[in-house]
Amino acid sequence: MSILVAKHLKKYYGEGETLVKALDDVSLQVERGEFVSIIGTSGSGKSTLLHMLGGLDNPTSGKVIIDDKDISGLKGDKLCIFRRRKIGFIFQSFNLVPSISVYDNITLPIRLDGKKVDKAFVKNVIDTLGLENKLDTIPAKLSGGQQQRVAIARALASKPAIILADEPTGNLDSKTSLDVLGLLGTTGKKFNQTIVMITHNDEIAQMADRTIRIEDGHIV
Amino acid sequence: MFSNKIVERLDQMLDDAMNGTFTESNYDESKLSRLESKWKDFLGTSVLSNQNLEAERHRLEQFISDISHQTKTPMTNIRMYTELMCEEVDNLREHENEASVVKIKKYAEEIARQNERLEFLIDSLTKLSRLESGTLEVVAGPSSINELVKSGIAAVKPKAEKKGLSFVTSDREDKDPVTASFDMKWTLEALINVLDNAVKYSPECGRIEVALTETEMYAAIHVIDEGSGISEEDATKIFGRFFRGSEVQQDDGVGIGLYLTREILSKEDGYIKVVSNDKRKGGEFILYLRK
Repeated sequence: MSILVAKHLKKYYGEGETLVKALDDVSLQVERGEFVSIIGTSGSGKSTLLHMLGGLDNPTSGKVIIDDKDISGLKGDKLCIFRRRKIGFIFQSFNLVPSISVYDNITLPIRLDGKKVDKAFVKNVIDTLGLENKLDTIPAKLSGGQQQRVAIARALASKPAIILADEPTGNLDSKTSLDVLGLLGTTGKKFNQTIVMITHNDEIAQMADRTIRIEDGHIV
Repeated sequence: MFSNKIVERLDQMLDDAMNGTFTESNYDESKLSRLESKWKDFLGTSVLSNQNLEAERHRLEQFISDISHQTKTPMTNIRMYTELMCEEVDNLREHENEASVVKIKKYAEEIARQNERLEFLIDSLTKLSRLESGTLEVVAGPSSINELVKSGIAAVKPKAEKKGLSFVTSDREDKDPVTASFDMKWTLEALINVLDNAVKYSPECGRIEVALTETEMYAAIHVIDEGSGISEEDATKIFGRFFRGSEVQQDDGVGIGLYLTREILSKEDGYIKVVSNDKRKGGEFILYLRK
Protein backbone atom coordinates (compact mmCIF):
# COMPACT_ATOMS: atom_id res chain seq x y z
CA MET A 1 0.00 0.00 0.00
CA SER A 2 1.59 3.24 -1.13
CA ILE A 3 1.68 6.06 1.39
CA LEU A 4 1.47 8.69 -1.37
CA VAL A 5 -0.23 8.38 -4.73
CA ALA A 6 -0.59 11.15 -7.31
CA LYS A 7 -2.86 10.40 -10.25
CA HIS A 8 -2.88 12.38 -13.51
CA LEU A 9 -2.06 15.69 -11.86
CA LYS A 10 -2.51 18.73 -14.07
CA LYS A 11 -2.01 22.36 -13.25
CA TYR A 12 -2.80 24.87 -15.97
CA TYR A 13 -2.54 28.64 -15.73
CA GLY A 14 -4.12 31.12 -18.12
CA GLU A 15 -6.04 30.06 -21.21
CA GLY A 16 -5.98 30.07 -25.00
CA GLU A 17 -2.77 31.61 -26.33
CA THR A 18 -1.35 32.23 -22.86
CA LEU A 19 -2.09 28.75 -21.49
CA VAL A 20 0.81 27.50 -19.34
CA LYS A 21 0.92 23.84 -18.42
CA ALA A 22 2.95 23.86 -15.19
CA LEU A 23 2.11 20.21 -14.63
CA ASP A 24 0.84 18.05 -17.42
CA ASP A 25 -0.43 14.64 -16.38
CA VAL A 26 1.97 13.61 -13.64
CA SER A 27 1.42 10.31 -11.83
CA LEU A 28 3.65 8.82 -9.17
CA GLN A 29 3.67 6.53 -6.13
CA VAL A 30 5.80 6.56 -3.01
CA GLU A 31 6.05 3.55 -0.69
CA ARG A 32 6.34 3.71 3.09
CA GLY A 33 9.89 4.32 4.28
CA GLU A 34 11.13 5.37 0.83
CA PHE A 35 13.37 8.40 0.26
CA VAL A 36 12.51 9.81 -3.16
CA SER A 37 14.08 12.84 -4.77
CA ILE A 38 12.36 14.82 -7.48
CA ILE A 39 14.87 16.57 -9.71
CA GLY A 40 14.23 19.30 -12.21
CA THR A 41 15.52 22.67 -13.35
CA SER A 42 13.77 25.84 -12.26
CA GLY A 43 10.52 26.18 -14.17
CA SER A 44 10.25 22.41 -14.68
CA GLY A 45 7.17 22.22 -12.49
CA LYS A 46 8.81 20.49 -9.53
CA SER A 47 7.77 23.09 -6.95
CA THR A 48 4.23 23.15 -8.34
CA LEU A 49 4.21 19.37 -7.93
CA LEU A 50 5.38 19.55 -4.32
CA HIS A 51 2.72 22.15 -3.54
CA MET A 52 0.04 19.82 -4.94
CA LEU A 53 1.40 16.85 -2.98
CA GLY A 54 1.34 18.87 0.22
CA GLY A 55 -2.12 20.29 -0.28
CA LEU A 56 -0.69 23.81 -0.46
CA ASP A 57 -2.26 24.36 -3.87
CA ASN A 58 -5.12 22.72 -5.80
CA PRO A 59 -4.55 20.89 -9.07
CA THR A 60 -6.61 21.78 -12.15
CA SER A 61 -7.42 18.09 -12.30
CA GLY A 62 -6.13 14.83 -10.86
CA LYS A 63 -5.87 13.36 -7.40
CA VAL A 64 -3.45 13.26 -4.50
CA ILE A 65 -3.93 10.42 -2.02
CA ILE A 66 -1.95 10.47 1.21
CA ASP A 67 -2.32 7.65 3.74
CA ASP A 68 -5.43 6.42 1.86
CA LYS A 69 -7.11 9.82 1.91
CA ASP A 70 -7.91 11.78 -1.25
CA ILE A 71 -6.90 15.26 -0.15
CA SER A 72 -8.65 17.04 -3.01
CA GLY A 73 -11.88 16.52 -1.05
CA LEU A 74 -10.51 18.37 1.99
CA LYS A 75 -11.06 22.08 2.44
CA GLY A 76 -10.30 24.81 4.97
CA ASP A 77 -9.80 23.68 8.57
CA LYS A 78 -9.97 20.00 7.66
CA LEU A 79 -7.14 20.35 5.16
CA CYS A 80 -5.17 22.35 7.68
CA ILE A 81 -5.54 19.70 10.39
CA PHE A 82 -4.79 16.97 7.86
CA ARG A 83 -1.52 18.66 6.90
CA ARG A 84 -0.55 19.16 10.54
CA ARG A 85 -1.11 15.49 11.35
CA LYS A 86 0.15 13.82 8.20
CA ILE A 87 2.79 15.97 6.58
CA GLY A 88 6.11 17.31 7.83
CA PHE A 89 7.44 20.20 5.77
CA ILE A 90 11.05 21.24 5.35
CA PHE A 91 11.48 24.49 3.43
CA GLN A 92 14.43 26.23 1.85
CA SER A 93 13.91 29.15 4.26
CA PHE A 94 13.70 26.95 7.42
CA ASN A 95 10.45 28.63 8.64
CA LEU A 96 11.19 28.32 12.36
CA VAL A 97 9.26 30.36 14.92
CA PRO A 98 11.81 33.04 15.92
CA SER A 99 10.56 33.84 19.42
CA ILE A 100 10.65 30.35 20.94
CA SER A 101 13.47 27.95 21.79
CA VAL A 102 14.80 25.19 19.56
CA TYR A 103 13.11 22.53 21.71
CA ASP A 104 9.76 24.33 21.56
CA ASN A 105 10.10 24.67 17.80
CA ILE A 106 10.74 20.95 17.46
CA THR A 107 7.74 19.95 19.57
CA LEU A 108 5.38 22.68 18.33
CA PRO A 109 3.46 20.61 15.74
CA ILE A 110 2.90 17.83 18.30
CA ARG A 111 1.58 20.24 20.91
CA LEU A 112 -0.55 22.12 18.38
CA ASP A 113 -2.27 18.85 17.65
CA GLY A 114 -2.94 18.28 21.36
CA LYS A 115 -0.81 15.13 21.39
CA LYS A 116 1.64 14.04 24.07
CA VAL A 117 5.30 14.48 23.21
CA ASP A 118 7.03 11.09 22.91
CA LYS A 119 10.05 12.28 24.91
CA ALA A 120 12.32 9.29 24.29
CA PHE A 121 11.69 9.44 20.54
CA VAL A 122 12.19 13.21 20.36
CA LYS A 123 15.44 12.92 22.35
CA ASN A 124 16.68 10.27 19.92
CA VAL A 125 15.88 12.58 16.99
CA ILE A 126 17.62 15.52 18.69
CA ASP A 127 20.77 13.50 19.45
CA THR A 128 20.91 12.05 15.95
CA LEU A 129 20.79 15.56 14.51
CA GLY A 130 23.43 16.82 16.94
CA LEU A 131 21.16 19.44 18.52
CA GLU A 132 21.45 18.34 22.17
CA ASN A 133 23.43 21.46 23.13
CA LYS A 134 21.20 23.94 21.31
CA LEU A 135 17.80 23.15 22.81
CA ASP A 136 17.39 26.36 24.85
CA THR A 137 18.75 28.63 22.12
CA ILE A 138 16.47 30.73 19.90
CA PRO A 139 16.72 30.10 16.13
CA ALA A 140 18.34 33.48 15.31
CA LYS A 141 21.44 32.46 17.27
CA LEU A 142 21.98 29.43 15.02
CA SER A 143 23.78 29.10 11.69
CA GLY A 144 21.76 28.26 8.57
CA GLY A 145 22.78 24.61 8.69
CA GLN A 146 21.81 24.34 12.34
CA GLN A 147 18.44 25.96 11.66
CA GLN A 148 17.76 23.48 8.90
CA ARG A 149 18.69 20.64 11.27
CA VAL A 150 16.07 22.00 13.69
CA ALA A 151 13.55 22.02 10.84
CA ILE A 152 14.40 18.37 10.07
CA ALA A 153 14.00 17.48 13.76
CA ARG A 154 10.64 19.29 13.82
CA ALA A 155 9.46 17.37 10.77
CA LEU A 156 10.59 14.00 12.19
CA ALA A 157 9.37 14.56 15.76
CA SER A 158 5.66 14.36 14.98
CA LYS A 159 6.14 11.09 13.04
CA PRO A 160 4.15 12.30 10.01
CA ALA A 161 2.98 9.96 7.26
CA ILE A 162 5.34 11.76 4.91
CA ILE A 163 7.97 14.51 4.94
CA LEU A 164 8.04 16.92 2.01
CA ALA A 165 11.30 18.82 1.61
CA ASP A 166 11.44 21.74 -0.82
CA GLU A 167 15.05 22.52 -1.84
CA PRO A 168 16.21 21.95 1.76
CA THR A 169 19.77 23.03 0.93
CA GLY A 170 18.84 25.96 -1.33
CA ASN A 171 20.03 28.55 1.19
CA LEU A 172 23.15 26.72 2.37
CA ASP A 173 26.76 26.60 1.22
CA SER A 174 28.02 23.35 -0.30
CA LYS A 175 29.72 22.04 2.86
CA THR A 176 26.68 22.65 5.02
CA SER A 177 24.45 21.16 2.30
CA LEU A 178 26.43 17.94 2.60
CA ASP A 179 25.69 17.86 6.31
CA VAL A 180 21.99 18.50 5.90
CA LEU A 181 21.56 15.95 3.10
CA GLY A 182 23.61 13.36 4.96
CA LEU A 183 21.48 13.83 8.05
CA LEU A 184 18.22 13.83 6.09
CA GLY A 185 19.19 10.55 4.41
CA THR A 186 20.50 8.76 7.49
CA THR A 187 17.71 9.86 9.85
CA GLY A 188 15.08 8.94 7.26
CA LYS A 189 16.40 5.37 7.23
CA LYS A 190 16.93 5.24 10.99
CA PHE A 191 13.39 6.32 11.83
CA ASN A 192 11.76 4.63 8.83
CA GLN A 193 10.42 7.96 7.65
CA THR A 194 9.04 8.45 4.15
CA ILE A 195 10.66 11.50 2.52
CA VAL A 196 10.01 13.26 -0.78
CA MET A 197 12.59 15.89 -1.61
CA ILE A 198 12.59 18.45 -4.39
CA THR A 199 15.92 19.67 -5.72
CA HIS A 200 17.65 20.98 -8.81
CA ASN A 201 20.96 19.38 -7.82
CA ASP A 202 21.59 15.85 -9.07
CA GLU A 203 24.67 15.41 -6.85
CA ILE A 204 22.33 14.36 -4.08
CA ALA A 205 20.51 11.70 -6.11
CA GLN A 206 22.61 9.04 -4.40
CA MET A 207 21.24 9.90 -0.98
CA ALA A 208 17.77 8.96 -2.19
CA ASP A 209 16.48 5.46 -2.89
CA ARG A 210 14.89 6.66 -6.08
CA THR A 211 15.07 9.70 -8.31
CA ILE A 212 12.22 11.10 -10.36
CA ARG A 213 13.14 13.58 -13.09
CA ILE A 214 10.68 16.24 -14.14
CA GLU A 215 10.93 18.45 -17.21
CA ASP A 216 8.36 20.84 -18.68
CA GLY A 217 5.68 19.50 -16.39
CA HIS A 218 6.27 15.85 -17.32
CA ILE A 219 8.04 12.98 -15.58
CA VAL A 220 10.88 11.82 -17.83
CA MET B 1 -20.24 7.17 30.07
CA PHE B 2 -19.78 6.69 26.33
CA SER B 3 -22.61 7.81 24.17
CA ASN B 4 -23.98 5.10 21.90
CA LYS B 5 -22.78 6.99 18.86
CA ILE B 6 -19.15 6.91 19.94
CA VAL B 7 -19.32 3.21 20.84
CA GLU B 8 -20.83 2.55 17.43
CA ARG B 9 -18.06 4.49 15.72
CA LEU B 10 -15.38 2.62 17.70
CA ASP B 11 -17.01 -0.68 16.74
CA GLN B 12 -17.02 0.42 13.09
CA MET B 13 -13.35 1.44 13.34
CA LEU B 14 -12.42 -2.03 14.58
CA ASP B 15 -14.45 -3.71 11.83
CA ASP B 16 -12.84 -1.53 9.16
CA ALA B 17 -9.38 -2.21 10.58
CA MET B 18 -10.01 -5.97 10.42
CA ASN B 19 -11.14 -5.63 6.81
CA GLY B 20 -8.20 -3.37 6.01
CA THR B 21 -10.55 -0.60 4.88
CA PHE B 22 -10.21 1.90 7.72
CA THR B 23 -9.98 5.55 6.80
CA GLU B 24 -10.44 8.57 8.98
CA SER B 25 -13.96 10.00 8.76
CA ASN B 26 -13.07 13.55 9.56
CA TYR B 27 -10.30 15.97 10.49
CA ASP B 28 -11.25 18.34 13.29
CA GLU B 29 -10.09 19.26 16.79
CA SER B 30 -12.29 16.67 18.53
CA LYS B 31 -10.80 13.86 20.59
CA LEU B 32 -12.47 11.28 18.37
CA SER B 33 -10.81 12.71 15.27
CA ARG B 34 -7.43 12.64 17.02
CA LEU B 35 -8.09 9.05 18.09
CA GLU B 36 -8.93 8.12 14.51
CA SER B 37 -5.64 9.56 13.29
CA LYS B 38 -3.76 7.67 15.98
CA TRP B 39 -5.59 4.46 15.02
CA LYS B 40 -4.65 5.03 11.38
CA ASP B 41 -1.02 5.55 12.39
CA PHE B 42 -1.02 2.36 14.38
CA LEU B 43 -2.52 0.38 11.51
CA GLY B 44 -0.01 1.94 9.13
CA THR B 45 2.95 0.94 11.27
CA SER B 46 1.64 -2.60 11.79
CA VAL B 47 1.14 -2.94 8.04
CA LEU B 48 4.68 -1.64 7.71
CA SER B 49 6.09 -4.17 10.15
CA ASN B 50 4.25 -6.96 8.34
CA GLN B 51 5.64 -5.69 5.06
CA ASN B 52 9.09 -5.57 6.61
CA LEU B 53 8.77 -9.15 7.80
CA GLU B 54 7.69 -10.21 4.35
CA ALA B 55 10.53 -8.23 2.77
CA GLU B 56 12.97 -9.75 5.27
CA ARG B 57 11.78 -13.26 4.38
CA HIS B 58 12.18 -12.48 0.71
CA ARG B 59 15.64 -11.03 1.35
CA LEU B 60 16.70 -14.16 3.17
CA GLU B 61 15.50 -16.34 0.31
CA GLN B 62 17.35 -14.15 -2.16
CA PHE B 63 20.40 -14.19 0.08
CA ILE B 64 20.54 -17.98 0.20
CA SER B 65 20.15 -18.26 -3.56
CA ASP B 66 22.87 -15.60 -3.99
CA ILE B 67 25.23 -17.47 -1.70
CA SER B 68 24.72 -20.70 -3.57
CA HIS B 69 25.27 -18.89 -6.86
CA GLN B 70 28.34 -17.06 -5.57
CA THR B 71 30.03 -20.14 -4.14
CA LYS B 72 29.26 -22.23 -7.21
CA THR B 73 31.54 -20.29 -9.57
CA PRO B 74 34.78 -20.59 -7.57
CA MET B 75 33.99 -24.21 -6.71
CA THR B 76 33.37 -25.09 -10.35
CA ASN B 77 36.61 -23.34 -11.23
CA ILE B 78 38.52 -25.23 -8.57
CA ARG B 79 37.14 -28.52 -9.85
CA MET B 80 37.99 -27.60 -13.43
CA TYR B 81 41.57 -26.55 -12.64
CA THR B 82 42.07 -29.65 -10.50
CA GLU B 83 41.02 -31.85 -13.43
CA LEU B 84 43.28 -29.93 -15.80
CA MET B 85 46.12 -30.31 -13.35
CA CYS B 86 45.60 -34.09 -13.09
CA GLU B 87 45.61 -34.40 -16.88
CA GLU B 88 48.76 -32.33 -17.06
CA VAL B 89 50.45 -34.50 -14.42
CA ASP B 90 49.70 -37.57 -16.56
CA ASN B 91 51.11 -35.71 -19.52
CA LEU B 92 54.22 -34.89 -17.58
CA ARG B 93 54.67 -38.54 -16.55
CA GLU B 94 54.58 -39.66 -20.19
CA HIS B 95 56.93 -37.07 -21.63
CA GLU B 96 59.17 -34.89 -19.49
CA ASN B 97 58.13 -31.48 -20.64
CA GLU B 98 58.90 -28.04 -19.21
CA ALA B 99 55.64 -26.60 -20.65
CA SER B 100 53.63 -29.02 -18.51
CA VAL B 101 55.39 -27.85 -15.34
CA VAL B 102 54.55 -24.25 -16.21
CA LYS B 103 50.93 -25.20 -16.82
CA ILE B 104 50.68 -27.08 -13.55
CA LYS B 105 52.10 -24.09 -11.70
CA LYS B 106 49.52 -21.85 -13.41
CA TYR B 107 46.65 -24.17 -12.44
CA ALA B 108 47.85 -24.31 -8.84
CA GLU B 109 47.93 -20.49 -8.72
CA GLU B 110 44.45 -20.34 -10.19
CA ILE B 111 43.17 -22.76 -7.55
CA ALA B 112 44.77 -20.64 -4.83
CA ARG B 113 43.09 -17.54 -6.25
CA GLN B 114 39.66 -19.16 -6.36
CA ASN B 115 40.23 -20.40 -2.84
CA GLU B 116 41.03 -16.88 -1.71
CA ARG B 117 37.85 -15.66 -3.31
CA LEU B 118 35.81 -18.29 -1.46
CA GLU B 119 37.54 -17.40 1.80
CA PHE B 120 36.76 -13.71 1.34
CA LEU B 121 33.15 -14.48 0.49
CA ILE B 122 32.59 -16.72 3.49
CA ASP B 123 34.43 -14.34 5.79
CA SER B 124 32.26 -11.41 4.63
CA LEU B 125 29.07 -13.43 4.93
CA THR B 126 29.93 -14.45 8.48
CA LYS B 127 30.61 -10.84 9.42
CA LEU B 128 27.45 -9.67 7.72
CA SER B 129 25.27 -12.20 9.48
CA ARG B 130 26.84 -11.33 12.85
CA LEU B 131 26.29 -7.66 12.14
CA GLU B 132 22.69 -8.09 11.04
CA SER B 133 21.70 -10.45 13.83
CA GLY B 134 23.34 -8.16 16.39
CA THR B 135 25.69 -10.90 17.68
CA LEU B 136 28.45 -8.39 17.17
CA GLU B 137 27.47 -4.84 17.88
CA VAL B 138 28.83 -1.70 16.31
CA VAL B 139 29.73 0.54 19.25
CA ALA B 140 30.51 4.08 18.14
CA GLY B 141 32.73 6.19 20.37
CA PRO B 142 35.31 8.97 19.90
CA SER B 143 38.15 7.49 17.84
CA SER B 144 41.07 8.71 15.78
CA ILE B 145 40.58 8.89 12.02
CA ASN B 146 44.34 9.22 11.50
CA GLU B 147 44.83 5.88 13.19
CA LEU B 148 42.00 4.37 11.16
CA VAL B 149 43.52 5.52 7.87
CA LYS B 150 47.00 4.36 8.89
CA SER B 151 45.78 0.86 9.80
CA GLY B 152 43.66 0.69 6.65
CA ILE B 153 46.55 1.53 4.34
CA ALA B 154 48.87 -0.86 6.21
CA ALA B 155 46.38 -3.68 5.67
CA VAL B 156 46.23 -3.34 1.88
CA LYS B 157 49.87 -2.31 1.37
CA PRO B 158 51.23 -5.80 0.51
CA LYS B 159 48.65 -6.20 -2.29
CA ALA B 160 49.26 -2.65 -3.49
CA GLU B 161 53.01 -3.13 -3.62
CA LYS B 162 52.61 -6.18 -5.84
CA LYS B 163 50.97 -3.88 -8.40
CA GLY B 164 53.49 -1.13 -7.80
CA LEU B 165 50.85 1.26 -6.44
CA SER B 166 51.70 4.19 -4.23
CA PHE B 167 49.58 5.83 -1.55
CA VAL B 168 49.31 9.55 -1.08
CA THR B 169 47.77 10.94 2.08
CA SER B 170 47.17 14.57 2.88
CA ASP B 171 49.90 16.14 5.02
CA ARG B 172 47.74 17.53 7.75
CA GLU B 173 47.07 14.09 9.22
CA ASP B 174 50.00 14.07 11.61
CA LYS B 175 49.86 17.74 12.52
CA ASP B 176 46.15 17.96 12.87
CA PRO B 177 44.45 14.96 14.48
CA VAL B 178 40.92 14.26 13.26
CA THR B 179 38.46 12.36 15.42
CA ALA B 180 34.89 11.18 14.91
CA SER B 181 32.44 8.87 16.61
CA PHE B 182 32.87 5.36 15.24
CA ASP B 183 33.72 1.76 16.07
CA MET B 184 37.40 1.28 15.21
CA LYS B 185 37.29 -2.44 14.42
CA TRP B 186 34.20 -2.40 12.21
CA THR B 187 35.01 0.88 10.51
CA LEU B 188 38.48 -0.42 9.68
CA GLU B 189 36.73 -3.35 8.02
CA ALA B 190 34.62 -0.86 6.03
CA LEU B 191 37.62 1.23 5.01
CA ILE B 192 39.68 -1.82 4.02
CA ASN B 193 36.87 -2.93 1.70
CA VAL B 194 36.99 0.43 -0.06
CA LEU B 195 40.81 0.50 -0.20
CA ASP B 196 40.82 -3.09 -1.46
CA ASN B 197 38.57 -2.04 -4.33
CA ALA B 198 40.84 0.88 -5.13
CA VAL B 199 43.82 -1.48 -5.26
CA LYS B 200 41.91 -3.98 -7.38
CA TYR B 201 40.76 -1.46 -9.99
CA SER B 202 43.90 0.70 -10.13
CA PRO B 203 46.11 0.46 -13.19
CA GLU B 204 49.64 -0.94 -12.55
CA CYS B 205 51.92 1.61 -10.86
CA GLY B 206 48.96 3.90 -10.22
CA ARG B 207 48.40 6.26 -7.34
CA ILE B 208 45.77 6.01 -4.61
CA GLU B 209 44.98 9.16 -2.70
CA VAL B 210 43.45 9.11 0.76
CA ALA B 211 42.31 12.59 1.78
CA LEU B 212 40.43 13.85 4.83
CA THR B 213 37.89 16.65 4.88
CA GLU B 214 35.55 17.88 7.59
CA THR B 215 32.15 19.53 7.88
CA GLU B 216 30.36 20.55 11.05
CA MET B 217 28.71 17.14 11.43
CA TYR B 218 30.91 14.70 9.55
CA ALA B 219 34.54 13.78 9.03
CA ALA B 220 35.00 12.40 5.52
CA ILE B 221 37.61 9.99 4.16
CA HIS B 222 38.05 10.25 0.38
CA VAL B 223 39.60 7.28 -1.39
CA ILE B 224 40.59 8.30 -4.92
CA ASP B 225 42.13 5.96 -7.48
CA GLU B 226 43.13 6.18 -11.13
CA GLY B 227 40.93 3.28 -12.23
CA SER B 228 37.97 3.57 -14.54
CA GLY B 229 35.58 4.62 -11.77
CA ILE B 230 31.87 3.91 -11.45
CA SER B 231 29.34 5.03 -14.04
CA GLU B 232 26.50 7.28 -12.99
CA GLU B 233 24.07 4.47 -13.73
CA ASP B 234 25.88 2.00 -11.45
CA ALA B 235 26.51 4.59 -8.73
CA THR B 236 23.16 4.05 -7.03
CA LYS B 237 23.33 0.28 -7.29
CA ILE B 238 26.82 -0.72 -6.22
CA PHE B 239 25.93 -0.74 -2.53
CA GLY B 240 23.31 -3.46 -3.00
CA ARG B 241 24.08 -7.00 -1.95
CA PHE B 242 25.78 -9.05 -4.68
CA PHE B 243 25.58 -6.26 -7.20
CA ARG B 244 27.31 -7.21 -10.44
CA GLY B 245 28.44 -4.27 -12.47
CA SER B 246 30.08 -4.55 -15.83
CA GLU B 247 31.50 -7.90 -16.95
CA VAL B 248 34.91 -6.78 -15.68
CA GLN B 249 33.85 -7.61 -12.16
CA GLN B 250 32.88 -11.18 -12.96
CA ASP B 251 36.22 -12.52 -11.84
CA ASP B 252 37.45 -10.71 -8.80
CA GLY B 253 34.60 -8.92 -7.14
CA VAL B 254 32.11 -10.90 -5.14
CA GLY B 255 29.85 -7.90 -4.72
CA ILE B 256 29.50 -8.02 -0.98
CA GLY B 257 32.26 -5.73 0.30
CA LEU B 258 30.52 -2.44 -0.42
CA TYR B 259 27.23 -3.69 0.94
CA LEU B 260 28.94 -4.66 4.19
CA THR B 261 30.68 -1.28 4.24
CA ARG B 262 27.42 0.58 3.90
CA GLU B 263 25.77 -1.52 6.62
CA ILE B 264 28.63 -0.87 9.04
CA LEU B 265 28.61 2.88 8.42
CA SER B 266 24.85 3.20 8.76
CA LYS B 267 24.99 1.46 12.16
CA GLU B 268 27.14 4.31 13.41
CA ASP B 269 25.05 7.06 11.73
CA GLY B 270 27.54 7.52 8.91
CA TYR B 271 27.19 6.87 5.19
CA ILE B 272 29.14 6.18 2.02
CA LYS B 273 28.96 7.88 -1.33
CA VAL B 274 30.59 7.33 -4.69
CA VAL B 275 31.52 10.10 -7.10
CA SER B 276 30.52 8.77 -10.51
CA ASN B 277 33.02 8.88 -13.37
CA ASP B 278 31.14 11.51 -15.33
CA LYS B 279 31.98 13.90 -12.49
CA ARG B 280 35.70 13.18 -12.26
CA LYS B 281 38.41 11.01 -13.78
CA GLY B 282 39.13 7.82 -11.88
CA GLY B 283 37.20 6.44 -8.97
CA GLU B 284 36.31 8.17 -5.74
CA PHE B 285 34.54 6.83 -2.69
CA ILE B 286 33.75 9.02 0.29
CA LEU B 287 33.11 7.59 3.75
CA TYR B 288 31.28 9.99 6.05
CA LEU B 289 31.64 9.43 9.80
CA ARG B 290 29.57 11.30 12.37
CA LYS B 291 31.59 13.58 14.61
